[in-house]
Order: sequence, then C-alpha cells, then structure tokens
Amino acid sequence: MMRAINTRHGISEWKGRAVFRPALRAGMAVMALVGLILLSQGLWIHAKAMVAQVLLDRAFTRSIETGQSVKPWSWADTWPVARLEFPRIGETSIALHGASGQALAFGPGHVNRSAEAGENGTAVYAAHRDTHFAFLKDVQIGDAVRITRRDGKVFTYQVTETSVVRWDQSGIDTNAGGKNLVLATCWPFNAATPGPMRYLVKARMLE
Amino acid sequence: MKTATFHTQQSPQAMPHWLRRTCQALWLINIVGLPFIALAIFFFSLVTAHAETAQSPLVTLDDVKSGTLLLKSAEASRYVEAPRVATDVDIVVSGPTARARITQIFSNPSNGWVEAVYAYPLPEDSAVHALKMVVGKRVIVGDIKEKKEAKAIYETAKASGRKASLIEQQRPNLFTNSVANIGPHEQVVVQIDYQEPVRLSGDEFSLRVPLVVAPRYNPAPITQTADLAADGSGWGTTADPVADRSKITPPVLDPRVNAPVNPVSIKVRLQAGFALGEVKSHHHAVNTETIDAQTQVIALAGDNHADRDFELTWKPQNAKAPAVGLFRETVGKHDYALAYVTPPVAQQKQEQRPREIVFVIDNSGSMGGTSMNQAKASLDYALSRLKPADRFNVIRFDDTMTSLFQDTVAADRENVSTAREFVGDLEASGGTEMLAPLEAALNDRRPNDQSFVRQIVFLTDGAIGNEQQLLDTIAARLGRSRVFMVGIGSAPNNYLMNRAAELGRGTFTSIGSTDQVDERMRSLFAKLESPVITNLSATFSAGNADVTPAILPDLYRGEPLVIAARLGSLSGTLTVKGMIGTQPWEVTLPVAKAAEGEGLSKLWARRKISDAEVESTLGKISRDEADKRILKLALENSLVSRLTSLVAVDKTPSRAQDKPLTRADVPLNLPAGWDFDKVFGEQASRKASLDNGSDIQLAKLAAGKKPVIQQAPADELPLPQTATDAELRMIAGLMLLLASAGLFFITRKTRGNA
Repeated sequence: MMRAINTRHGISEWKGRAVFRPALRAGMAVMALVGLILLSQGLWIHAKAMVAQVLLDRAFTRSIETGQSVKPWSWADTWPVARLEFPRIGETSIALHGASGQALAFGPGHVNRSAEAGENGTAVYAAHRDTHFAFLKDVQIGDAVRITRRDGKVFTYQVTETSVVRWDQSGIDTNAGGKNLVLATCWPFNAATPGPMRYLVKARMLE
Repeated sequence: MKTATFHTQQSPQAMPHWLRRTCQALWLINIVGLPFIALAIFFFSLVTAHAETAQSPLVTLDDVKSGTLLLKSAEASRYVEAPRVATDVDIVVSGPTARARITQIFSNPSNGWVEAVYAYPLPEDSAVHALKMVVGKRVIVGDIKEKKEAKAIYETAKASGRKASLIEQQRPNLFTNSVANIGPHEQVVVQIDYQEPVRLSGDEFSLRVPLVVAPRYNPAPITQTADLAADGSGWGTTADPVADRSKITPPVLDPRVNAPVNPVSIKVRLQAGFALGEVKSHHHAVNTETIDAQTQVIALAGDNHADRDFELTWKPQNAKAPAVGLFRETVGKHDYALAYVTPPVAQQKQEQRPREIVFVIDNSGSMGGTSMNQAKASLDYALSRLKPADRFNVIRFDDTMTSLFQDTVAADRENVSTAREFVGDLEASGGTEMLAPLEAALNDRRPNDQSFVRQIVFLTDGAIGNEQQLLDTIAARLGRSRVFMVGIGSAPNNYLMNRAAELGRGTFTSIGSTDQVDERMRSLFAKLESPVITNLSATFSAGNADVTPAILPDLYRGEPLVIAARLGSLSGTLTVKGMIGTQPWEVTLPVAKAAEGEGLSKLWARRKISDAEVESTLGKISRDEADKRILKLALENSLVSRLTSLVAVDKTPSRAQDKPLTRADVPLNLPAGWDFDKVFGEQASRKASLDNGSDIQLAKLAAGKKPVIQQAPADELPLPQTATDAELRMIAGLMLLLASAGLFFITRKTRGNA
C-alpha cells in the first residue's frame, strides 16, 4: 500500500516536470554543442600540430634541395629552418623560423636573437610541452641530438644537462663560448594550465 | 529460470530504499554537477590565463584595445606599456638664487609590475640635494650615498619587492630617476629639490628650466681613445668615447604618430629683490600675477608637455641693473657668500686689433627644422658684421666636414658674399661628429701673431654624447684662440655650451627661437668687439676664504663676475681687481653688509665640484685627485654628482616575490622644432657615409687605431610560452558531452516510465 502511493506520487512528480522538458532539451543541446566545440578545439590543436609537421617535412626536404626558403603552405608567415632528430627515442621534428605563438602551433620555433645551429653561441629551440616537445621528458643526458640545417649541413650535439628555470630568468647567454644548443618547453609536463616555469635541455656540439 | 526472470523484473522494487535514493542522488550529481565542474574548469583556465597576463606587463599587439604607447620588450612581438610621468616644477627665486622643487608623478598603465626609468634634464649648474618618495601616505626621505653603494641599495630593494627611487647624474645636466616596483595601475610620486644661481647678463636676469633631453648623437666607437699598457709591450685597450650610451638614449616618440606625453606644469615665484621691469617668458604662454613691485608669480598657461626648455627673463624697472650684489648664508659653523660684480663698460675706444674669426656651423640632422634656420640666420648676421680688416673662415659639419677656405681669408666683399651663399645653401642631415671640425677650428697657423684677436664662434645644439672628448680638446689646444658657443634650438645641451665656453675663455649665447636671433647675436658681437676684462682676482680681506671658481674667467662686455666663497668670518671686504683692456679696474665691497641669501652653501659646493672637473680637464690635477675632492664635497653637502646618488627605499615590500618586474624607459617627446626623420634617419645614413669613407673617419683610421666594435654583453634570453590549452579544452569538452549524454539518458528513461 505504502509502496503504491509512493509510486503514484513519483509519476505525478515527473509529469509536473514535463513543462520544463523543452528547456531541458535545449540546455542539453547547448551543452553538447559547447562540449563538442571545446573537444574539437583541443583535438584541432593536436591535429594541426601533426599535419603541419608532415607538410613541414616536405617543405624542408624541398628547401634543402633548392637551397631556398620554402613556405610549407602559401599563407604561412614562417618557414622551416632545421630538422631536429633524437635517434635514441626515434623522434623527429621540423623547426620553424621564430618562436611566435603562431609558429609554435605548427612546430618547434628557433628563438630569434639566438645563434644558428652549428655556429658559435647558443641556438635555442622552443616548442609546446604537450605536442612537439612532449618527448623532451624522455631525453636523457648523453643522448645525441642531430640537427640538419636548411643548407643541408648536419651537426650532432650531445645532451649535457637538463634544468628548470623561470621564463624571464633563463640564464641563457646567446653569445656564450662554444657551440651550444638549448631546447626549451613548458614545465611541469603534466600541468593543464600555462605557467612561468620552463624545462631546458642543454647540449654541446660534438666536434 | 522463472525465478531469475522474476528477480530481474522485481529488482527495482526489491532494491532497498536507501540504495535507490543513492542512485537517484548520483544521477542528480552527474546531471547538475558535471556541467558545473566542466564550466568551472573552463573558467578557471580563463582566469589563470588572465592571471598570467596580470603578472607580466608584456602585451602583444592583439591585446591592445585603446591608443596605448608600447615599447618593444626583449621578448619577440611582446611589448611593454610605457610608464608615464607628469612633472610639476615649483620655483622660488629669491634674489640671486632659485630654489626648485620638481615633482614627478610616475604612473604605470600596465597590468604588471614595472621599473620606470626616466631621463630628464636639469640646469647644468643646479645643486640637486634632496629626494622624497611618496608611497600612499608615507613619505620616504632619500639619503646621499656613493654612486655604487646607492645603486646596490636600490638593486637590493628592487629585488626584494620594495619601492625605491634612485637619482643618478649621467651628465651635469642630465639625470635619471629609476623607480622600482610600481604596481599595476599604481602611481608613485617623487620629489627632487635643487638650487641654482640666477644668470645675469647685461642688465637682464634669466632662469632656464630645461624640460626635455634632446636625442644625442653618439659617435660610433670609431674615434676611440687608445690606452697602451704601462709595461711598454705596445699593446693596449681602446675605450668607447660614449661609455654610457645606453643610459643617455631613452626612446623618443615621433610627434606625427604619438600625441605629446609627459605633461608639465611650472610655477615661478619671482622675488627679485628690486622693482621689476619687463618680465618675459620666451617660449611658453604664461599667466602672471603681480604681488607687489618686487614680486610676481608666473605660471604656465594651458596644457604643456615636456618638449622645449622654459626660459624666463626679467629686468629691473630702472634702466640699469645693480652693478654689484653680495649675499650671505650661515650653515652650521660656516659662512658662505655669493657675489655678483659687473665691471663698468669701458669709456675708452673699442678693441682696436682686427679679428681672425672661425665660424663653425652644425648642419647635422638634429639641427633639422627651425634650428637650422636659426643657425643660418645667426651666422648670416655674423658675416654681415665683419669688417674689411678682419680675417675669417667658415667650417660646416655633420658626420663629414667642409672648410670653406683653406685658411682664414680677408673679409672683403667677395669672400663674405661667397660665405653667405655657402651658408644659405646648407641643409641639415647626417650625424654629429663635432671633434674634427673643432680641431680644425683650433688649428692655429699663426699661434704667435698678436696683431689679430683669434675667436672661434661655434653654432650648435650640442646634441652629442661625447662631451668630455670635446672639452679635453679645447683645454689642450686653445692657445691664443677664444671659443664662443652659440646654443641653437629649443633644448640645447647647456652643460657642453657653458663648460666649452669656460674652458675656451669665451662666452655662451643661447638662441631658442628665430626672433631671438637678432637681439642675442647683436649682444654677442658687442662682446666680441669690446675689450676683454682680464687678469681678474677676488680677495677677501678677512683671509681664510675658499673662493670658487678657482680660475676666474675673462669677462666680456656686460657680463658679471660671479663668485661663491666659504668664509672664515663675515667681516672685512671683498676686493675685485682686473684689467679692462689696458686700463686697471678695482671694486671693493663690505662683506658685513651682505644681504641674507638662500642655498648659497649648496651652490658653493656645486661650483667647487665643477672646479675639480675643470682642473682635471685642464690637467692641473689628476683624475683620482678630482674624484676624491668631488666625493668629499658631494657627501658633505648632500649633492648628487658624478660619484654620488640619492636613494630612497620603502621599508615594506609591495611586490610579491613570484611576480616578475619589467624595466621600461619612459619615452620622451622630440624637442619642439626638431625633425624626426632627420634625427633618426641619420643612424641609417651614417653607416652609408662611413662606407663611402668620409675624410674624417679615414683620417682616424689612418691614425692606426684599430676600430673594435665592442659587443654589449647579451642579456638573458627570455623564453616563449610553450604550453597549449588543448588538454584543458578536451577535458572540459568531454565532460560537457558526458553530462549532456547523461541528461539525455535520464530524460528518456523517465519518459518510458510515464
């Protein structure tokens, strides 16, 4: 008896809510839509990063052949300048000219004001921790880093040190003696929000 | 089997009441809670992104919403919003001295913590002695410290997040004020006090408040000074002629693109000490209020910005200015005196000897605009005043130079008209390499010829950074020549002009606008043509007096002798003696009758510091000895100098340690009448002229000094932002999708039930 009343009461409650159903449905649709947009934006960042690397690889190969800067796509405001290879972990990445936000979406950027790879001073490449330089956490001291320049010359560096610094206190001297390389990305690797800290992998050229 | 079916069907009914409730609650949490959590995370990501920008004053071009002034930062394509400075100048002139209080209000328009660095000019003979910093309602009084120590105190405070202010002298007329840790949208007020003597020339008193630092031309380190090692190995080092070029080159705004910045208000309370005649502001509109016959209050009218010097002159009501003035002040155990003595205009005939004049005119880019017209008009006037018996030459320079004649030539009609044509065709462009033309002008082919009076008239704005090189040259090579500086334009480098005239034993004439050309050039020529007052001496009979300047200058017509002294006692007399042409002259003043003055001790100390600089330039004392004297004087009298700075530090920290601090130079206006392209185009064109090999640079290179371009030590490379919000977006998106799916599921289920 008790149970029956209970049930009837429950049904009438749901019927009473029927008025809100269209609103509920609309809310649902909006939520689903926003969710989809956010999800696809996130995926888009990764997709862009991956697809761009393929196009960049092609453009870079061509620029080595022709000896001229080749833009990976006609509207690009940057161009590939080097290929970074990490033989031990089997990673490869094409670096772009400049480290602006737009360039970093497509690949590691060669930071302006830093030296060219293979030259005296310090060459600095930076990339996002969750895309192109996500593998940086796997790079170990002693690893080889092979850099192919636009003119086809190949230089091999050896990782000597890793460190964590603030973005504005990098301690990087672009005119330092010797031929140095610094790879930079955000730190910590698993954080979801941007922060001020950077992870540096430092390497010296093997003569 | 049947039982099993029954069980399945009946299970909801059979489920304990509490369990059903729990399930319903879980659904509710999922439906309401998940989207909420997702949205919360989404907003959190926005907030943290915002917080990131709030910590850093760097912005990108996309962030700028309204007209803002941006300075390039060390980071690529990121900018700093420039700090602004509003200035109020409050001056009280009492008799021979002016007491000024400059209030600089620094405001930070950015979202980050900023260190503002403001370069500003002060009169070259000003004694800067007090600093106050106002933070909120607290007033922090600055201390005088040795320059290095002050810098260290400031840097420590800066690093620990405390507010601090540091006043440093870069040149005797160019100071910088660094203010650390100005918070987002915060204001910090800094007050600077200084004293300066009022200038007297003829019967006209004047006061000049320089308001803008003109962009200076700094010679590239190609005319270097070489220093060979003492061990005789023949190897040595070379020094940049402008060692501190970064400190004296603040950013300058193009007036065509930017509205003027750095608003200025000025109020002068003029207590002349005698009934005032004409009072005139030469370059600004003013409101004047007359208090009584001797006192007026003059204030700038309308909106003004720091883009030209303020010049106020006043004359006594009676036709003639008082010929002598004597003032005293007692500070601690010491008595100080300041005396003005104007020699009488000689009744005897004018200087009889003909003159050999070399005119040097600056046609560099910084002279572009109205300055060039003023300079040309001035020189044209001068040429027209030459007499046939005189000899003359004209040298023009930018980063190259041309001498019109090989040597000075007779001022006959033909030569003068050639020169006037040459001057009329001059156009302003290029850099300002002033050393070579100065050397050429000082190059005297007949050093022992006493039948001519040799004079050099130098027309320039003095917008250069290697002043000391020029002064050293004048001191070393003056000989029988006398150097007369004519300062052109709205913001000439008065320190260079005054010191060059002092070392060159000539005078300094300032021409700030085209309508001053006639009057000022006429007065300069009256000086050039009149006999000089030489062999001056000033003696206090009571003895034990420390008189400055140590080397009394030669005086020209209408100029007073100004001396400051620290006295043993306020008694006896002051006797000034000299020769007007060939006629002896002497005047005696009773010291006890001196009037009460203000700030004389500071002016005395400031003048003593100048003495030490002059004596070291002339090679009379060593550089170390000069430094020792300057440091002692500056510390004892609390003066900012080449070796001492004022520093004020707040006790409580205001910036948290994890918030970064960005340095930003306060941008300056281009001085009024200047041509932006001519000034800043010159850096690019200069290189080209170097490649073309102008005679001056070639001469320098041929002298065998190896041009080494020192590379500035690289500052730390800032790293770009290297994290995307891809993950955040994906998490938030997934949660929203899940939540909407859950909702869909539950509504369908209940519809089924109904």
